[in-house]
Amino acid sequence: MKNKIITFTFLIYLISILILNIAAPEKNVSESERRKLAEFPPLSAETLFNEDFFDKLEKYELDQMVFRDGFRTVKAITEFSVFNKYDNNDIFIENGCVFKMEYPYNQKSVYNLSKKMNEIYDTYLKGMNVYYSIIPDKNYFIKDNDKHLFIDYKDMISILNAEITDMEYIDVFNCLSLDDYYRTDIHWKQESLGKVVDALGNKMHLPNDFNDDAYVKKTFSPFYGSFYGQAALPVNPDVLTYLTNDAIENAVVDNYEYTGDDKSSQKVYDTDKLMGIDSYDVFLSGATPFIEIENPQNNSGKELIIFRDSFASSLAPLLLSEYSKITLIDLRYVNSKMLGELVNFDNQDVLFLYNTTVVNNSNILK
Amino acid sequence: MVFSSITFLYFFLPIVLVLYFITPHKFKNYILLLASLFFYFCGEPKYTFLLIASIAVNYLHGILIERHRDTKAAKGFVVSAVIINLLLLGIFKYSNFFISNISHMFNIDIKFVEIALPIGISFYTFQAMSYVIDVYTGEVKAQKNVLNLALYISLFPQLVAGPIVRYKTIKDELIKRDHSFDDFAYGVKRFVIGLSKKVLLANSLGELWKFAIYTEQPSVLFYWLGAIGFTLQIYFDFSGYSDMAIGLGRIFGFHFLENFNYPYISKSITEFWRRWHISLGTWFRDYLYIPLGGNRTTKFKWLCNIFIVWFCTGFWHGAAWNFIIWGVGFGVILVAEKLFLLKFLEKIPSVFSHIYTLMIIIFGFVIFNSSSITDAIQYMKGMLNLLSIPIFSREALYYLGSYKILITLAILCSTPIPLRVARKIAQKINNFEPIIYIALLTVATGFIIDSSFNPFIYFRF
Repeated sequence: MKNKIITFTFLIYLISILILNIAAPEKNVSESERRKLAEFPPLSAETLFNEDFFDKLEKYELDQMVFRDGFRTVKAITEFSVFNKYDNNDIFIENGCVFKMEYPYNQKSVYNLSKKMNEIYDTYLKGMNVYYSIIPDKNYFIKDNDKHLFIDYKDMISILNAEITDMEYIDVFNCLSLDDYYRTDIHWKQESLGKVVDALGNKMHLPNDFNDDAYVKKTFSPFYGSFYGQAALPVNPDVLTYLTNDAIENAVVDNYEYTGDDKSSQKVYDTDKLMGIDSYDVFLSGATPFIEIENPQNNSGKELIIFRDSFASSLAPLLLSEYSKITLIDLRYVNSKMLGELVNFDNQDVLFLYNTTVVNNSNILK
Repeated sequence: MVFSSITFLYFFLPIVLVLYFITPHKFKNYILLLASLFFYFCGEPKYTFLLIASIAVNYLHGILIERHRDTKAAKGFVVSAVIINLLLLGIFKYSNFFISNISHMFNIDIKFVEIALPIGISFYTFQAMSYVIDVYTGEVKAQKNVLNLALYISLFPQLVAGPIVRYKTIKDELIKRDHSFDDFAYGVKRFVIGLSKKVLLANSLGELWKFAIYTEQPSVLFYWLGAIGFTLQIYFDFSGYSDMAIGLGRIFGFHFLENFNYPYISKSITEFWRRWHISLGTWFRDYLYIPLGGNRTTKFKWLCNIFIVWFCTGFWHGAAWNFIIWGVGFGVILVAEKLFLLKFLEKIPSVFSHIYTLMIIIFGFVIFNSSSITDAIQYMKGMLNLLSIPIFSREALYYLGSYKILITLAILCSTPIPLRVARKIAQKINNFEPIIYIALLTVATGFIIDSSFNPFIYFRF
């Protein structure tokens, strides 16, 4: 009897998944993994005989498998609870907060970033007020935990300080704590950046300190950050808060990624993105090579150029009241050799603002 | 296609099972043959024709040997079959090895040929050779029905990574076999256990070698972790595949012989090779060592026979010098054991003979898994603390901590202890058995989905 049960259970299990896989509608995007899913490969004699078809078919079936997220959760639970592994695909959870291990430390990458920043300075920025600041990733705040592996933050900053001599370094490591980051995402929380804004403002000689009361707080929840999907484990979602005021609401954004017809991308907060794959894209519409934000309420003519990654998307609005115009350049998507065609470098303030993950992987900068 | 893929598990297998079991008995072989050829076609579309050609050649040679039995022509046909099979292997597996060595030896520049290694060629060629040789020696009669022989050579459970099933083992089952719930359930259990060994243990443990190779913090501990990780990985990878093959075979009514018998509990290398990849060891014994004269000859010739067999064993595993050194190295150790070492090992406490055996196995697999002899030497130097590196690094300690349960579990599972425990508690868990196997299948599926496509290690041989 037992053997009959094993036989039929096995058959029913396989056949049910087969039927569900066939019946389930094809998905284009995985929201939890933040990526496009593989499409059914083109079938032809050429693709069949080049072994291409079946490789792509397997990728397609892996991506389109029913209960994909559920199966990934089973794997994650097994890794952590049965095998007691310290990480699953480099992801680990400490006190309900999701971390992604940034390891190994790539010293060459730090030198490479220094070289790139110095080249940009020599080519475009001589004689201008140029600053740089490094944003610690979340792992920095648990670096004393013996269990996990961390990059050498001290060495990273020492190298940058030694190699970059024409720019002023602004230390924001002490302005932040783990609570200032989302639990389910890589990014910092905009509402916690007051100390960072003040640290930057002091060195950059901005007249006004950060004033929390000058902003209206708007919230969105539940916010499932990018680490949530990667972790594939039940973790409480975050609340995404964005700060706004008249200057921000009336600012005009020129985002080179979008056409003029796309009204939502012409705002600092692209609220259409809140319901998209990545709600953090509410800040300046997410990843894009080049953005100009004009602030009609500031007539000083003062301008700021930020060489940045995604962390700056939520910081830039908080600096907006101090400038007539802020230009954001993301060297992950635009080649530094083309900057002369995009920006008229004159007497603007310039801030290089990168998080430690980018510093450790600077080959992604063009 | 690999067993640990979604395509196989949740498309190919259920469809083939349904078609096979709803088809009347006399047509079941057609379903299995078509399924097997399609299975191979998914992995090697172009080389499916090579597989079919191999089937045709060996079928014809079997018939011709049978027709000219006890004549010189029969000998000619068996020699011809062996040469053709070896030529296939030589061309598709070893061409570039020979080109590289000739170029190096004579300092000339010969261009490599653009031939990809057909999946499973080492396995199905050896199966085919065993068939024609057995027909020649009269061990079996030639198979008159080409479809039955095609099914024997291409049967998908063992087609691409063994075990090397002898024709005589399944010749009767090719024509008539029984199907029962007992066999089906046994097959399911073996298949799920094999899949779990491959996906949950082997794949995870294999990461340790990569970490040890690419670390920027090399340490003695890390080198050992990598070597132990690979030693466990290759066992669970290959024995897991054999379990799956044996399980699938049983579901379809075939009884394949065991290929592994807890090799890591061996107390000598002689014992290890009786427990490791048994189908390959017995193949070389029956079709090479004994025909060469085995040990019933002069001592010098006997030694030569041993070295020829172990040279071939190494060379069979891969077209590179590290495989040859790995094989010949085992030959040297086996000779030493036969001459004097075995007697000594029997006298000392078994813990020392275990350690002796495991050390040779671990260092052997370092040679086996290195991309060159130089890399292997460098790696072994690291293990022996001859590289002026620290004993341990923070990174090594991290991976030791992170993998400690997995390594312990894998070591336990490479002994008969879990089976003994399972037998003891069998009565208590009897009713939960179906749930346990479905749970294991679900967890294994989770691991497959979470990882990228991962082929079996033994596919490259």
